[in-house]
Amino acid sequence: MKIKHQLTIFSVINKLIIILVLWFLLPLLAEKVVYSHIDKSLLEKKQKFVQHLDKEEINDFLIRKDTTETYASFSTLHSEFLQLYQIGQGTGSPKSFYKNETRIIEEEESNYRILYFDFAYENCYYRLEIGNSLSEMEDLMYVIRIFIFIVLIASIVVTFFSEAVFIEYLLRPFHKIIHTKIKHINDPESFDFTAVETHSDEFKELDQGLHLMMGRIREVFNKEKQFIANVSHELLTPIALLKNRFENLIQNQSLDDQAVDKVVSSLKTLDVLKKIINNLLLVSKIENNQYHANETVNLTELLLELIEEFDDRIRNKNISIDFNMAESVAVKGNKALLHVMFFNIIGNAIKYNVANGTIILSDGYANDQYTITIADTGPGMTPEQIGQVFDRFTRMDLNQEGQGLGLAITKSIAQFHHIAIDTTSEVGKGSSFRLLFPTEAKT
Amino acid sequence: MNILIVEDHRELGSEIADYLVGAGYICKWVDTCEMALEELHSNDFDAMLLDVGLPDGSGFDVLKAVRKQKSKIAVIVITARGELNDKIDGLQLGADDYLTKPFALTELGARLYAIIRRIHGFSANELEIHGFTIQLQDYKVSYDSEIISLTKKEFDIFQYLALNKNRVITRLQLTEHIWGDILEVNSDSNFIDVHVRNLRKKLDKHAPLDWFETVRNVGYRINVEP
Repeated sequence: MKIKHQLTIFSVINKLIIILVLWFLLPLLAEKVVYSHIDKSLLEKKQKFVQHLDKEEINDFLIRKDTTETYASFSTLHSEFLQLYQIGQGTGSPKSFYKNETRIIEEEESNYRILYFDFAYENCYYRLEIGNSLSEMEDLMYVIRIFIFIVLIASIVVTFFSEAVFIEYLLRPFHKIIHTKIKHINDPESFDFTAVETHSDEFKELDQGLHLMMGRIREVFNKEKQFIANVSHELLTPIALLKNRFENLIQNQSLDDQAVDKVVSSLKTLDVLKKIINNLLLVSKIENNQYHANETVNLTELLLELIEEFDDRIRNKNISIDFNMAESVAVKGNKALLHVMFFNIIGNAIKYNVANGTIILSDGYANDQYTITIADTGPGMTPEQIGQVFDRFTRMDLNQEGQGLGLAITKSIAQFHHIAIDTTSEVGKGSSFRLLFPTEAKT
Repeated sequence: MNILIVEDHRELGSEIADYLVGAGYICKWVDTCEMALEELHSNDFDAMLLDVGLPDGSGFDVLKAVRKQKSKIAVIVITARGELNDKIDGLQLGADDYLTKPFALTELGARLYAIIRRIHGFSANELEIHGFTIQLQDYKVSYDSEIISLTKKEFDIFQYLALNKNRVITRLQLTEHIWGDILEVNSDSNFIDVHVRNLRKKLDKHAPLDWFETVRNVGYRINVEP
């Protein structure tokens, strides 16, 4: 799951919790505030009453038994009332307490906050009730709840979108780092060392870390390249000297046949040495990504060229070529390397074929992947041999000349181009190499 | 024909010089960038063989300096690093050809011949060998103005032997010349014999080929009286 989505979900859940808490707490708080306010005003009224307390007042407020009136006094909107009546037994000292009760005043039912005050006056016990309607407060609570609901839902929606945009903005340098600095880098040489623009220290740190790492990799890489260049220079220069010296030596008329034979055979040895070094250098260069794969190569044309190139060997063994390339597909790659790859496969198909044998070249599609199959009618390989066929210095037939580097190079080139090679073989019938090209390589 | 050889490897330089002197060139051999530039200032050369790895710098620097002077000198860059980049660098800086160590001296001779001919605009685009005319640019061989139809490989072999006349050319050298610097180790050089046999059959129809010599176990040689 993306950080963006995780953060958004987290923030929404967070806000929902806050809303739920406020939904419960805010009315409770408001209620408390309102109660303390009401209580204070009730207390003031009681004190006023107690201050002016005399017989006349008591008589004035005392509910007379002969009337139907239950309340001694109430405001016109029934928001307040006052009630005084005699009770039989008091507790002795005056005491007061608050209570919420439902009262009906003039057939209107309403919740009241009531202050009860028991007191004794001239040996009579009285209870004073001062009430304050709670309907206003209930309205207030309702308004508060609605308010919370609307404001908070609206803020959720608004912040959800603004956060999504902001997170997207925050993470943009991250995506940029991934895309420009990590995903599409094959060669440290092509690494872009310009800093990614960001205000987040973390991404700056990541960017700088990548630069440091890439710098070190580049250093190692260049050292290796330099090493390869040096090795090749140091080895190939003496070989060049020997080769040229022997070539000059052959021209010497005074050499007898035996000496000439030895010189020629030394030249052949030098040639083998040169080719082994060049092959090893080629493999290491491919594996170091020192080649570019940006040419458009038509594979059918390439194979036709190769068959032309092998013409004499094919005729020499009287091999028939079955050319079944139906699609004319071009891929992105390195032409020289692809040439070497097919050269080695077809060369082997000829070398290991029987006289009057056949080589079948065909193409097609397997699950959207373009494939080329090169099959021969050679002696075939055992499953163990198939497993080793791409290893360096492996030779299938010890009587055959060669150093067994051809298919190792083929494998390196295939890997470099992301081509999969599927090898099947049956002893006595022949081998077949199927190359599966990556879908994105097609042009 | 004056050739400047810039090669820091003393023995290799002298082998190259030996070969080129034998082929009729006048050679001057130096082993540093500095000496090369000095020589280029004081003498006229038709061609230069330039090694890239020199003790006091890169051969490419010499190449740059030479090309700045708009000199028409033919330059063949020699390097032991078969690196693609070196090749591209060299050709972009104005090298006329490129050889990777180790190379066959006869290959060097053939390339040098072709480049000098091209750069200095020699009209001699034909080689005369015992009555056979090799038209180098048109890839044609004729005898008494009658065109002989040769395959490309046969033509290449004939031309290569003719350019290196009076020298034994080994099968290996011919293989390398025809198939290029192929990577296949111990590639079978016997195919050369098949092509040479066909070539001789075609030429033999027109004139005797006693000058086209097969050197036992080694290769071939075209003999031309000096």
